[in-house]
Amino acid sequence: MRSEKEMVTGRMQYIDDIVMDGMLHMTVVRSPYSFAKINAIRGGLNHTDFNSEMKSFGEGETGEETGPGETMFAGSHAFYAGQPVAAVFGKTKYESEDNADSVEVDYEPLKPIMNLNDSLKLGPVHGSMKSNVLKRTLLGKEFSIADSHIDLSDSFMMERIATNPIEGRGLVCHYDDNKLNVWISGQSMHSIKSGLCGTLNLPPDRVRVFHVDTGGAFGLKGGMYPEYAIAGFASMKYGKPVKWIETRREHLMASKPGRGVRGDITISARKDGKILGLKGKVLVDAGAFGGSIAEFSPRFIGYQITGPYAIGNVYVDAQALVTNKPPQGPYRGAGRPEASFLMERMIDRLADETGLDPVDIRLTNAATEPFKTPTGMTIPESRSFLQDAIRELGYRNFRKPERPGFSFFALLPASSPGEGARIRCSEGKVKVWLGGNTHGQGHEFFVKSLLSTEFRIDPGLITLEYADTDMLEKGEGSWGSRSAMVGGNAIIELARRIIKRIEKEEGHYAPEILLDGEYDEQDFVSYKKTLISYGANLVTADVDTYGNVHVKECRSYYDVGRALVPHMVRGQIIGGCMQGIGQTLYEEISYSEDGTLLTGSISDAGLPTAEKIPEFTVKYAENPSEFPHGAKGLGESPTIGVPTALARAIELASGKRIRNTPVRPDYLIG
Amino acid sequence: MNPREFEYHAPHSLDEAFSLLGKYGDESKILAGGQSLIPLMKSRIFSMPHIIDIGKIEGLRNIEINKSGARIGSLVTISDLESEREIAELFPAIHDAASQIADPLIRNAGTIGGNIAHGDPGNDLPAVLVTLGAVFVLRRSGGERTADASKFFIDTLETDVHHGEILTEIVIPRPGKKTASAYLKAKKSAGDFSIAGISTCISMEKDGSIGSIRMALTSSGPKVIEVTGLEEICKGKKDYNSIAEKVSVAAVSSAKPSDDFYGTVQYKKKVIGILAKDCLKLAMERAEKR
Ligand SMILES: Cc1cc2nc3c(=O)[nH]c(=O)nc-3n(C[C@H](O)[C@H](O)[C@H](O)COP(=O)(O)OP(=O)(O)OC[C@H]3O[C@@H](n4cnc5c(N)ncnc54)[C@H](O)[C@@H]3O)c2cc1C
Repeated sequence: MRSEKEMVTGRMQYIDDIVMDGMLHMTVVRSPYSFAKINAIRGGLNHTDFNSEMKSFGEGETGEETGPGETMFAGSHAFYAGQPVAAVFGKTKYESEDNADSVEVDYEPLKPIMNLNDSLKLGPVHGSMKSNVLKRTLLGKEFSIADSHIDLSDSFMMERIATNPIEGRGLVCHYDDNKLNVWISGQSMHSIKSGLCGTLNLPPDRVRVFHVDTGGAFGLKGGMYPEYAIAGFASMKYGKPVKWIETRREHLMASKPGRGVRGDITISARKDGKILGLKGKVLVDAGAFGGSIAEFSPRFIGYQITGPYAIGNVYVDAQALVTNKPPQGPYRGAGRPEASFLMERMIDRLADETGLDPVDIRLTNAATEPFKTPTGMTIPESRSFLQDAIRELGYRNFRKPERPGFSFFALLPASSPGEGARIRCSEGKVKVWLGGNTHGQGHEFFVKSLLSTEFRIDPGLITLEYADTDMLEKGEGSWGSRSAMVGGNAIIELARRIIKRIEKEEGHYAPEILLDGEYDEQDFVSYKKTLISYGANLVTADVDTYGNVHVKECRSYYDVGRALVPHMVRGQIIGGCMQGIGQTLYEEISYSEDGTLLTGSISDAGLPTAEKIPEFTVKYAENPSEFPHGAKGLGESPTIGVPTALARAIELASGKRIRNTPVRPDYLIG
Repeated sequence: MNPREFEYHAPHSLDEAFSLLGKYGDESKILAGGQSLIPLMKSRIFSMPHIIDIGKIEGLRNIEINKSGARIGSLVTISDLESEREIAELFPAIHDAASQIADPLIRNAGTIGGNIAHGDPGNDLPAVLVTLGAVFVLRRSGGERTADASKFFIDTLETDVHHGEILTEIVIPRPGKKTASAYLKAKKSAGDFSIAGISTCISMEKDGSIGSIRMALTSSGPKVIEVTGLEEICKGKKDYNSIAEKVSVAAVSSAKPSDDFYGTVQYKKKVIGILAKDCLKLAMERAEKR
């Protein structure tokens, strides 16, 4: 197991540290155009060699993917800038990149669709579709309210952002003895395996996927990409190991970015702040292809749009729209921050309209008992948590002119459908495999903590092994605030089975019996519910004459159920808060109207730097969940709560209505 | 990404460097700290068969301060500039700018010569050196010439360095009494290039009125831009409030920013206007204290 210090100083065995005899380095030749007809391709491995369609997407997959699906290489058209057109190989990285010059592509540039308005207005990008609407879902019921005093409408946009982990995508494929072995930086070995089996048309027993130390992911590495299948195909074709490591520029142009969501929202309310109804449109920039998360996200956002509030009338028209950009992917929060932003921004707007304190409006609308929303979501009582949060965050201690932004949200973790795990005791050691693969969060810590308690053994005897699809038959993935919750549940369940077995065989359980014996349990432990928890943030900020926002304080109060490893909880919250600040102030993937990527470097795409770190206060409630360990979800909470609270803080400091993220200096002083 | 193949030369003297430049001609390029050139080579935007690293040449890393001013060797790093106390004392604008260039790692490698010779309108030192009235020493095989900073920058990535020449020294005249400079930079994050930057150098008369003033802008056009019309506005004036608005307007009307991802022309002009006022104020305050 790695120490935190090794993790943050990079002293791990990352994917690019793997070297094999005869290994080929792969370089991907990509379309420079957001939309182009391809008249001819000469050179490299290209669609004439391999043109299978994307299969199995990982996180957010619903099984209702409508397509059109992405082919591994662009064929007659390139549908986004960065789409793989060909792949070349070399014995060194240098040689491989030199070989990219040998590929000739005859492009005929076409006018791309680069924003949601054009996507709605203009003809379909794909000839196989009637319009650019990839998927449309109506949630709730149409309504009209006779006794509404106030009707407020507004429109919001969260721009696309890159996931930008420190380590980008990468893998090594080695086809050996009729089996494709894959080492990959990832969140879910089992998703990658089914993706490879599908695209390469291989039966499950001929693909084995190994997890390696992973330097961050944030949603990037939970599913399939063309590059993975191409590397696998090349290893089979050339009979050699093939390595592909993404450059930062490739990451910014061709991985699956998150957000890219617009909401046109109307609320109806009484003068006392009671919200009677919400209706609106949620439009998701799906990018050029179906699959991944784009078909799922609009519905997911619409479903939870009212968050922790009991609002009796809701009607949402949720659409995923095709554009000439890379397919949308999940980014920390993946729909949850979007839903909360739309709701919380409207509440702040209502406060300004009525003169009421925005926090009082939240109290008025919080659920006083379990509530089933018109979109079908059942939320637990939320008012008492909100009251605690107002107190714990010190909201009422602020005196004018200092006014903080405040947010309140429901976290809907991806707890369903559970998680796969394996525990093997042998030679006095306990080894664990998990279906959700740690990508920097430190799953080792909760595994050791939970199992040392269950087994009553020294945590030093327990190790979390690299995931491997041969060692563990079934697994889901690490995303959606789920790992400690359902991964932890799975290992406790398996540990208890082992203990029961020992009790049955030996009459009683004792740690020595476990350590002297040989035990091996694996299963996929199902959990089909969504275990909702609540959270709140308070943020203060200044805006200077240049339009730069200075975040002063960021306070968090989340119900974590039970903090399994308190310092990891703190780390999750602080890191997530920085990402929330990043989305709100700096991060963006942007194109010109003609489809040129404007954010090709990490400084353009805008990560928050050390000087931007505000003062943090981390508090949490521990209202135990129904799981044996008592924990609830956490990972995505800060990315839900911080953008909304910060947007309000900026609004108060600048006097400008905040509708879009990132909030740019040119907007604040323009 | 990784660069195309090139041959690396590391001469130990200027003469050796000149003969390599002579031998390989258009097929060669000088490398100093590499902080501008190497990113271009790695992204394969730029490649050259012969790279001549001048980093090992002796005698180009000195900072000499004497009665007539400063002579700064072209290989002096941005970090050296930042930490040299006498530079901060005599030319506060150099210190202001150096401490805001990129990040410490880049400052440890990047050189003053490279920062100038690259001709990037986003680099911070050109504006400072223009307002300080610097002169650049350019050596070639068997000769040398000097060039005024104000005439040296021709266009984006284009300067008055001819092929075969090496920028060896930056000579800055000693500022007179009651003279001070300042540099301010508007940027999104630490380590970023600027949205706009401005350098100001002011000399005050004995009576506290402004005797002379120069201002120059970073990231506000195809090359560093000197603000014109300042003397008429400022000469003989003592009160910041009476000139601030006019100086701001002069800076904005000299600027030629363009629309890009970081903002519209209108926004950038607004930033330049605020920068001009803030920088004027800072330079006046500093000059008064001298
Ligand atoms: C991420 C990043 C951020 C940066 N941010 C800033 C910033 O905010 N402000 C800023 O001012 N700069 C910034 N820089 C640029 C950096 O400061 C410059 O790269 C550096 O000052 C250039 O010096 P160098 O020694 O690295 O030049 P090199 O990269 O080695 O050379 C640059 C050019 O100058 C030529 N050259 C170099 N020395 C000589 C010489 N003596 N005679 C003739 N020609 C010569 C070279 O041939 C080449 O064309 C940034 C760079 C990076 C990578």
